[in-house]
Amino acid sequence: MISGMLLLAVLAVVSLYMGVYVFEKHSLAEVISSLITNDESLSESDRFVMMGLRLPRIVMAILIGSALAVSGTCLQGMFKNPLATPDLIGITSGASLFAALAIVLGSSLKAYIPEIFHFSFLSIMAFAGALLTMMLVYRISTSGGKTNVVVMLLSGVAITALGFAITGFLIYISKEEQLRDLTFWNLGSLGGATWTKNVILATIVLVSYLFLINKGKALNAMMLGERDAQHLGIPVEKIKKQIVVLTALMVGTSVAFAGTIGFVGLIVPYILRMVFRSNYHIILPMSAVFGGVLLLSADTISRTVAAPSEIPIGILTAFMGAPIFIAILVKTRNTM
Amino acid sequence: MLEAYKISYAHRKSLILQNIDVSVNYGELLVIVGPNGAGKSTLLSMLANEMGKNEEPIFFKKKTFEEWDEKELAHSKAKFSQNNNHDIPLSVKDVVLMGRYPYFNARPHKNDLEAVVKAMEETDVATLKDRDYTTLSGGEKQRVHLARVLAQLDNDIAHKLVFLDEPLNNLDVLHQHRILHTVKNFTEKGNTAVMVLHDLNLAAQFADRIMLLKKGKIVAHDVPDKVFTKEIISKVYNFPCTICPNPVNKNPLIIFGI
Repeated sequence: MISGMLLLAVLAVVSLYMGVYVFEKHSLAEVISSLITNDESLSESDRFVMMGLRLPRIVMAILIGSALAVSGTCLQGMFKNPLATPDLIGITSGASLFAALAIVLGSSLKAYIPEIFHFSFLSIMAFAGALLTMMLVYRISTSGGKTNVVVMLLSGVAITALGFAITGFLIYISKEEQLRDLTFWNLGSLGGATWTKNVILATIVLVSYLFLINKGKALNAMMLGERDAQHLGIPVEKIKKQIVVLTALMVGTSVAFAGTIGFVGLIVPYILRMVFRSNYHIILPMSAVFGGVLLLSADTISRTVAAPSEIPIGILTAFMGAPIFIAILVKTRNTM
Repeated sequence: MLEAYKISYAHRKSLILQNIDVSVNYGELLVIVGPNGAGKSTLLSMLANEMGKNEEPIFFKKKTFEEWDEKELAHSKAKFSQNNNHDIPLSVKDVVLMGRYPYFNARPHKNDLEAVVKAMEETDVATLKDRDYTTLSGGEKQRVHLARVLAQLDNDIAHKLVFLDEPLNNLDVLHQHRILHTVKNFTEKGNTAVMVLHDLNLAAQFADRIMLLKKGKIVAHDVPDKVFTKEIISKVYNFPCTICPNPVNKNPLIIFGI
């Protein structure tokens, strides 16, 4: 756990220095030390690249990676299956579909919604989309506390297909500027990071973790079956409601700010499970740290590997995630 | 200790339980027996508060289950279920440790770990403690869950209650008897156990009272000597039987087929 946090810190510092822009002071240590000491010799542009561009992006990568990984782990615990992740069961699609609707129809809808919501309209829509999809998928695939995995995955496919259709239609009818925004959702990028977004994101992540991060024991017990978990004094229904609402909130906000970045919720728990078995008591807090590690590394690679252009980050995570998806399928094919 | 009146349960219009009154005393080991489909497991679920509300409230230590605090209830009441999940990718000791979840927050205390070890020794799974649960045989998994239930009730509270739904399935003779002795020990300390069993002879040997069910109704509810008579048993099971005193311990000995 501690080593994970250290790794994250080191990565963040390295990532801060890496990129297309070349600093006037050439060593990493020099730049950092002059930032800390508020050295006059650091040029305006250096400072701006550091504090205005890269740092917010790094913070956002960590927050979103962490939020997605924790959402994935919680959902897997709730659905009792390692394939239950926000993207595979359609929650990400649901959120981005609503976000797309917000972009295209937003300008005409804005007249009808209160002023204070204008700024966060997109996030609220994405949250609503995520929440609706989650409730729909859970209703369809689960009865009597048991999840039918095939139905769960197929309802995800169905919702993703619906999302594609509607997003396609929206692209068809949308104007030039809206089109650019829509493309951004589908590929996913952390390029739009700002401090305002980070503050919102951090608040949501912190509040969600306050409720979720100590639910490892409960998720373990739920592997026994929901009735048996209840005999252990675990308020199963209450916890499921918390998971549904809070993961929808985290996934929705992530989608609203960075588009669809797939597979993070699949990769991180999968790797942690290989080391710690399915002990949610350990892997739930760990996924909060390693989700950040994963997305930050992926984003740093996406910025640097094909410099000066950027590879969309969704491509990188899909490259890692798809083989893992297949590996889990092969491993669990007998029990599906 | 446990009192329930007029328990009824219907599933899709077929009545599974009809108007069953149960009251179990402190220190009593009640065994529920009956042919397949008699409603034994359903009755146990109802008594353990798994199926939602009965029309008449069920009282456990003079309080209804709704009046109990969830965590406190978990210190006094536990249940061993019949259909345990076979796919729990954890080590054996982590599964048993779940029984201690009502006792600690972030990290297990020393007495939690001690309770786990003690429970594992009791059901003879201590040597398997680091094995992956998924690699165990059916009987071994069964004993792991029994250890978990024992660990859950390992505390100083007086008058605890345990429900056991066919705890002896898949177990060999040695472990069947070990488990029953453990349960008997538990009830002799003033605790209560309600257990569903199929083996009538084991029921006769260990139970304080027997409840015989057929098609959702009580046929007999009394001490073993009164319930296990030739007339009642052969009629309920629809199969001829002879009952004689066990030459060793004088309990009724039921021999089927003759």
